[in-house]
Amino acid sequence: MMPTTGHSISGAIGQGFGRMMNLGISAEIIYSFVIIVCSLMIFFGTKEFYRLSNHKGIKYFRRAFLFFALAYFFRSFIKIILFYFEAAELRTILPIFGSVTLFIFMYFGSMAIFYLLFSVMYKKWNNKLRVYIFHAVSLIMATLVIIYRNPTTYLLINSLLFIFVSSTVYNYSRLKKKSSNLFVIYFLLFIFWIFNILDVLIPNIFKTFQLLIYLTSLGIFMTILYKVIRKTG
Amino acid sequence: MAKRNKLEIIRDILTIVRDNRSVKPTPLLRKSNLSSSRFKGYYSDLLEKGFVRETLGGNKQISLTKKGQKYLEKYSIIISFIDEFEL
Repeated sequence: MMPTTGHSISGAIGQGFGRMMNLGISAEIIYSFVIIVCSLMIFFGTKEFYRLSNHKGIKYFRRAFLFFALAYFFRSFIKIILFYFEAAELRTILPIFGSVTLFIFMYFGSMAIFYLLFSVMYKKWNNKLRVYIFHAVSLIMATLVIIYRNPTTYLLINSLLFIFVSSTVYNYSRLKKKSSNLFVIYFLLFIFWIFNILDVLIPNIFKTFQLLIYLTSLGIFMTILYKVIRKTG
Repeated sequence: MAKRNKLEIIRDILTIVRDNRSVKPTPLLRKSNLSSSRFKGYYSDLLEKGFVRETLGGNKQISLTKKGQKYLEKYSIIISFIDEFEL
């Protein structure tokens, strides 16, 4: 067996760093950075509106984007580690750390979607208990992702999340009896967030369409940011 | 008359205070078109948030703070933001 020398370790680190700097990981870092910045700009940009009005809808709306920023931070973290070690799954290289990071990513991501849904629906539901139920559901979803390590379970969990969220948004927009661009934007945001989750959980699932998913996700976040900035100044 | 929501009631109370520069509690209660118990709730909320202040002397007078002034300035923008995102 070859002894591990300081030279070979530094060589491996150097190779890993070299791999990180190619177009793939650069695009990944830029993508995550732009979305995190957009989300944080929405969160901090609406701070004064919430401070003055104490409006519940604004509160949940802001929280949704704070959770999106956190989820995308952990998403990019996972992607960078996967790329650095050239691994398909985080838990094969870092079992405990990988599971914890995936759990946090899933929890923040699901809660971001639920908070955004709640910001629109809170008047109709009028029940604070539902927020705690959403926290519990997000924790259960994150736990299931950690326990069952197969693509079918990931697809099933995310399909259920998508069906629940899209049917709620669809029913609400029908009740409102007026067409709204906002629901289309939210609908796309939900779909593309789920694509982002699957992209992390199932290796190479969107290999051909990855760039398209990234560009569309960026477009959605920038549209929402533009709508916010137009009001907040 | 349509039922006012919370933000509208706060705007109305602050507008009365601003238009009168300073006002006593009883005329403010009368002009705000609220029941005594609801007015008390809103009034203590406004004091707590720092939108109005009481000047204590012989007669208690209520006046607008900078934060209250800012609320009135931003009110229409906040409402249009809430409408835009259906919050």
